Amino acid sequence: MVRPGGRLRIERRLRQPRWLVVAVPAGSLVFAFLASGLVLVATGHDPLSSYRQLLDAAFVNNGAIGQTLISATPLAFTGLAAAAAFRMRLFNIGGEGQLYVGAIAAAAAGLYFGGSGGPSAFAIAAMVVAGCAGGAAWALIPGALRAFFKTNEIITSLMLNYVAGYVLTYLVFNTESYWRQTTGFNAAVFPTSKPLPPSANWPTATIHVQGGVPLPLGAGIALLAATVVWVLYRRTRFGFEVQVLGDSPRAAQYAGMRTRRKILAVMAISGALAGLGGASQDGDFRHTLDADPNGLQKQYYGYAGIVVAALGRYNPFAVLLVAFLVGGLQNAGNTLQGADFPSGLVGVIQGLILFSALGGELLVRYRLRFARRAEATPVVEPA
Amino acid sequence: MNNSLLVVLVASGVVYGTPLLYGALGELLAERSGVLNLGVEGMMLVGAVMGFWTVQRLHAGTGLSLAAAVGVAALAGAAMAAIHAFLVITLRASQIVSGLALTIFAGAAGLSSYLGNDLNLADNPARHTFHALFPASVQRWPVVGPIVFGQNVLVYASWACVVLVWLYLTRTRPGLNLRAVGEAPGAADAMGIDVVAYRYAHTLAGGAFAGVAGATFTLAITPQWVDGITGGAGWIAIALVIFAFWRPELCLVGAYFFGALQALAPQLQARNIHLGPTVLWTNTLPYVMTVVVLLLVSTSGARRRLGAPAALGEPYVREER
Amino acid sequence: MRGITKRFPGVVANDGVDFEAAVGEVHALLGENGAGKSTLSNILTGLYRPDEGEILLYGRRVEFQSPRDALDAGIGMVHQHFRLVEPFTVAENVILGDHRGEGRSFRLRRRAIERRVGEISRRYGLHVDPRARIWQLSVGEQQRVEILKALYREARILILDEPTAVLTPQEAEALFATLREMAAEGRTVIFISHKLHEVKAVADRVTVLRGGRSIATVQGAEATPRSLAALMVGREVAGPERVESARSVGDIVLELEDVWVTGDRGADAVCGVSLAVRTGEIVAIAGVAGNGQRELAEAVAGIRPPARGSVRVLGRAIRAGDPRSAIRAGVAYVPEDRLGTGLAPSLSIASNLALKAYREPHVSRGPLLRLRAIRDRALELIARYRIAAPGPNAQARQLSGGNLQKVVLAREFSGRPRLLVAAAPTRGLDVGAIETVHAYLRDAAANGVGVLLISEDLDEILALADRVAVLYEGRLLGEFAAAEADLEEIGLAMAGGHDRR
Repeated sequence: MVRPGGRLRIERRLRQPRWLVVAVPAGSLVFAFLASGLVLVATGHDPLSSYRQLLDAAFVNNGAIGQTLISATPLAFTGLAAAAAFRMRLFNIGGEGQLYVGAIAAAAAGLYFGGSGGPSAFAIAAMVVAGCAGGAAWALIPGALRAFFKTNEIITSLMLNYVAGYVLTYLVFNTESYWRQTTGFNAAVFPTSKPLPPSANWPTATIHVQGGVPLPLGAGIALLAATVVWVLYRRTRFGFEVQVLGDSPRAAQYAGMRTRRKILAVMAISGALAGLGGASQDGDFRHTLDADPNGLQKQYYGYAGIVVAALGRYNPFAVLLVAFLVGGLQNAGNTLQGADFPSGLVGVIQGLILFSALGGELLVRYRLRFARRAEATPVVEPA
Repeated sequence: MNNSLLVVLVASGVVYGTPLLYGALGELLAERSGVLNLGVEGMMLVGAVMGFWTVQRLHAGTGLSLAAAVGVAALAGAAMAAIHAFLVITLRASQIVSGLALTIFAGAAGLSSYLGNDLNLADNPARHTFHALFPASVQRWPVVGPIVFGQNVLVYASWACVVLVWLYLTRTRPGLNLRAVGEAPGAADAMGIDVVAYRYAHTLAGGAFAGVAGATFTLAITPQWVDGITGGAGWIAIALVIFAFWRPELCLVGAYFFGALQALAPQLQARNIHLGPTVLWTNTLPYVMTVVVLLLVSTSGARRRLGAPAALGEPYVREER
Repeated sequence: MRGITKRFPGVVANDGVDFEAAVGEVHALLGENGAGKSTLSNILTGLYRPDEGEILLYGRRVEFQSPRDALDAGIGMVHQHFRLVEPFTVAENVILGDHRGEGRSFRLRRRAIERRVGEISRRYGLHVDPRARIWQLSVGEQQRVEILKALYREARILILDEPTAVLTPQEAEALFATLREMAAEGRTVIFISHKLHEVKAVADRVTVLRGGRSIATVQGAEATPRSLAALMVGREVAGPERVESARSVGDIVLELEDVWVTGDRGADAVCGVSLAVRTGEIVAIAGVAGNGQRELAEAVAGIRPPARGSVRVLGRAIRAGDPRSAIRAGVAYVPEDRLGTGLAPSLSIASNLALKAYREPHVSRGPLLRLRAIRDRALELIARYRIAAPGPNAQARQLSGGNLQKVVLAREFSGRPRLLVAAAPTRGLDVGAIETVHAYLRDAAANGVGVLLISEDLDEILALADRVAVLYEGRLLGEFAAAEADLEEIGLAMAGGHDRR
C-alpha cells in the first residue's frame, strides 16, 4: 500500500497475543463509557450520577438482579442463536422472527397440554420442544435457500422477521385462532390471547443471595444450552466441520465434508435456540402469547442478541456473561424511565460499547504502524 | 372518481412511499459502492428528530425553516453514517454488526429518543409543515389530481432525485467509477480510482438521504415527533433496494407499491370491506416478494445481470492476498 | 533500471538488478518461479518502491509513488490475474479510471467511447466487440481487453506477466504477432515468462534472472532452449536427473475410462481421457496450465463429478462428486492451491493435519473428538516431516510455502493412501523444499502407492516419472516411457503437437 507522504499503515498480525484479546474488549468498554459520559455532559446531565443510577437499577437495588435476569434471559437465547450461526459465517439475522415462531409453537403446546395445578413437567417439556421446533423450522427456510440455491441468508432471514411478526399479530388480532381468547367479557371487544393454563407456567428457583434472587427456568435452560453449544462446537466432529466450513468452504469440500447438511443443521440449531427464547417468554414471563405489536415485537430481542453475540465474540459462555450485563443495562433503562433520567441513554451506551468493541477488534487482528515515508512493504510473499 | 379505492391507494402509496424512496435511494448508493448499511432506521430517526427540532426552534419564515430543517436532517443522517463508514471502511469491521449497532445507537431507544426527549420535542405539532404545492382546483382533476398534483415538495424532489441518481449511475464517469468500486474494487484500484474515497462519499450520501427520509415523517406525514416515528421504514427501505435490483427507477415503483400496501388495510377498513386474511397478505407481501426476487436472482445466470454489486459487504484491502 | 534492490522480510527479491530495454524491441524476462521477475515488474509499474537503485525512462530518472504515476508515464501492464469488472462492457473497462483529456469529462459519451475502443481494437488486430460484457468473453478475449487498456492509455512500454498461461497455443501465436507489431511501431514490450520455447519464439533479447540477480542478457536469435535453461538453472542441464528406480510395478490402482469433465465456464475441460496408474508407478501428466489439469485432478479426487466416463480406484468406481468416497477408497490429493483448498488457513496446524482423519476411530470416539490424540499426532507428524512451525496450535497461515506443502503432504501420506494425486506440488518452492517433495513422492511409489503427478515442469517430470502423458486441450496426447522420452518431443506435444517454428 503506497500512500504519498507516509501515513498509518495497517498490517495483519501473524500472532494474536493473549493479553490483547482481553485488554481490547475491556478497553473498549471503558472508552464507551467515557464517550457516553461526554454526551451526557454535553447535554447538561451529570454522568457520574447517571451511571450510579444505572448501576443501582441494574444490579444493586432490591430485586434488581431478579429484574436483570428477566431482561437477560431472552438475550441469552438470541445471543446463543446468533453465535451458533455466525461462527460458521452464516449470518442469521432472523433470530427475531425465529423467536416469534418459537413463541407461537410453544404457546400452542402449553395451551394444549397444560391444565390446572402446579407446573407440569410434561407441559413444560412440550413447550420447550415446540419452541425449538418452531424456531428451527423458521430458520430452515433461509437455511434451505442458502444451502440449495446459495441465496443470501442475511436478507432472507431479515425479511422473514417481518413475516413472522405479522403472522404473530394476525393470529390474535385478526382471526379467531386457537391462540385467541374467545370467552369472557372483553373478548369480543378487544382481542387478547389466551392465558396459558397454570400448569404451563414455568417455575422459578430461588438463589439465596441478596435476599433471594428468583432464577427463571429459562435462565437455567440457557445455561444448559450454552454448555451444549460449547461442547458441540469444540469437542465434536460436528464442531470441527463447522470450524473448517466457516474458515474455508473449499477446504471443507476438499476434505469431503457435507456442506449442505452443515448449513441446514447449523441454521436449525440457531433457530431452535431463538425459538427456545420465545418459549421462555411465554412460560417464564408473559404466561400468554404476546401478540401485541407494541409488546414482544418492540423489544427487538433478536437484534439485540446479535449485538450480544458479537460482543461475546461468539463464545457461548461469554455470550451468557454479556447477556447478563446488557440485560442489566436494559433493565436499568426500563426502570429509570422518567424526567430525571435521560431516556434513550441505554441505546446510546449500548451502541457506543458496540462501536468501540468493533473498533477495538481491529487492534486485535491488525497491527498499526506509522511509516515515515511512502513505504511500499507488502506483507505477502513475493513471487 | 377521485375517491375510488384505486386512486386513493395510489395517492397514499406516494405519500407513504416517499420516505421509503429516499431511504432506498440512499442505501442504493452506499451498496453500489460495496458498503451494506443496516442502520437506515437509526439514521432516519435521527434525521427525523433533528429536522423537527430545527423547525421548532428556528425563527424564520416557513420556506426557510423547512429548507433548513431538511438540510439539518440530511447532515444528521450523514453524521450517523460517518460512524458506520469509519468503522467498516477504515477499521474494516463487520458491516452487518456495525449497521445493527448504528440502529441500536441511533434508533428508537437510543440517540433519537434521547435528543427528542431532552429537547422537549414531544407533544407539540410542527410549527411549519410541508403542504401540497398545487392549488386545490388542480388537485381535483380526475386521477392525476390527487396522485400527481396533490403532493408536497418533498415528493417532487424525490422524483428529481430518482432521475438524478439514474443519470449519475448510467451516464457519468463518476457513476461508472462507483459501479466499478462496488463490483471489482481491485480492478478499480488498479485503474487509479480511489476506492476508499468513493465508499466514504456514498455511504455518507446514503446517510443524508436517510436523514431526509426521516424528516419526511416529522415534517410532512405526521407533523409531530414521537419516539420511533418511522415504524420500521428503514428496514423496508433496505428490502426495497434488493427488490429493485439496485436500480433507482425500480426503487420508485417499489416504494409506491410498498406504500400502497401500507395504506391498503386502513382503507379497506374505512370502507367496511371485510379484511380476513387479506391483511396478512398485504402486510407480508413486500417481504415475501423480496425473498422470491432474491431467490430468482440467485440462480447463476441471472445473478450476473441482475444481482448485487459483487463486492457488497466485503472490506477492501489492497495488500492482503 | 539500474542496481534495483528490493527486500522483503526474509528474502531479497531483487539484488542489484540491472535491466534495460530498448525502443521497438520485444524483451523477455526469463526466470524460474521465485527468481524475482514479478517483483521487478511491480517496481516498474509503481506497485512497489525499490530499496536501492533507480529507474530511468528515456534517459531521465523517474520515481513512481503509485500505479497511477507509472500509468501516466506510459507504462502499462497486463497482469496474470486480470483486473476486469465482469458486468461491464469492454469499452467501459478500457476507459475506466482514465483521467486524461476526454477522461476528465463528467458525462459518459457511450457511443463515442465505443467507437474509439473499436478503432484501437481493429488497428492492432485485437478483435473484440466493445459492447460485449466481460463475462461473455473467452479468456483469450479478456486478455485482449487488458492489452487494449494499456494501448488506450498510449502506453509506450507494455509489460505482460506470464500472458500465455491462460491461452491456447493458437491464441498465444496471435498474441505474439500482436506483440511484434507493437514493437515494430516503436513501443517496447517486456515479456515475463518461464517458458523457454515462447521466449525463443517472440523475443529479440532475453534477460535471465536467477535468485534475484540478473545473470545475462542474450540475443533471442542466438540462444537455444538448452542454453537458456542452463542460465535459468545455473548448471549445465545435460538431461533430466533420473534415478532409475528398482520399483516393481503392480496392479492397477487407478483407472480412468473415457472421462469427460465440464469446466467452470460450462465448456468441456477434459475430453475423453483414458489412463491407468499402477501401484509403485509414477505416472506424470505434462501440460501447460489451463489444459484441464485441475478438472482432471478434481475428478479423480471426487470433488468434481465427471460428465461422462468412469473413475475407478482399485476396481471400484468412486461416487461422482463425493470427495469422501474417494478418500475412503484411498485417494490422497495434494492440490495446486495449497492455502485456499488444501488447508484451512485460520485453523491450527494440528486441526489441518486432522482435516481428513478426524472421522477415524483413533482421532475421535463416536461424535466426540479426542483433542489430545489430535495434538499428539500433530507433534509426531511435525517431527517426522520436519515442519518448521511455532507449535501444533499455530495458525496454518503463518507458515511459509514449503512448510505448508509439508503439512499437506504429511496429512495425505499419513492417511495410508493407495493413490496419490499431486498437482503442481513444487510450485513456488525453493530448491531445498523441491528436493524434499521429490523424495517423498519417490518414497511413496517405493512403498506401493500409485502416484499421479500433474506438473508443468518438464525437468521434474522427467526426473520422477516412469511414464509421461501430455494433456493438451483436455485430451491426452502421446504416452511416453520416461526413460526413452525426448524433451523436445514432449515439449512439442505440450504445444499441441504441431511444429510452429
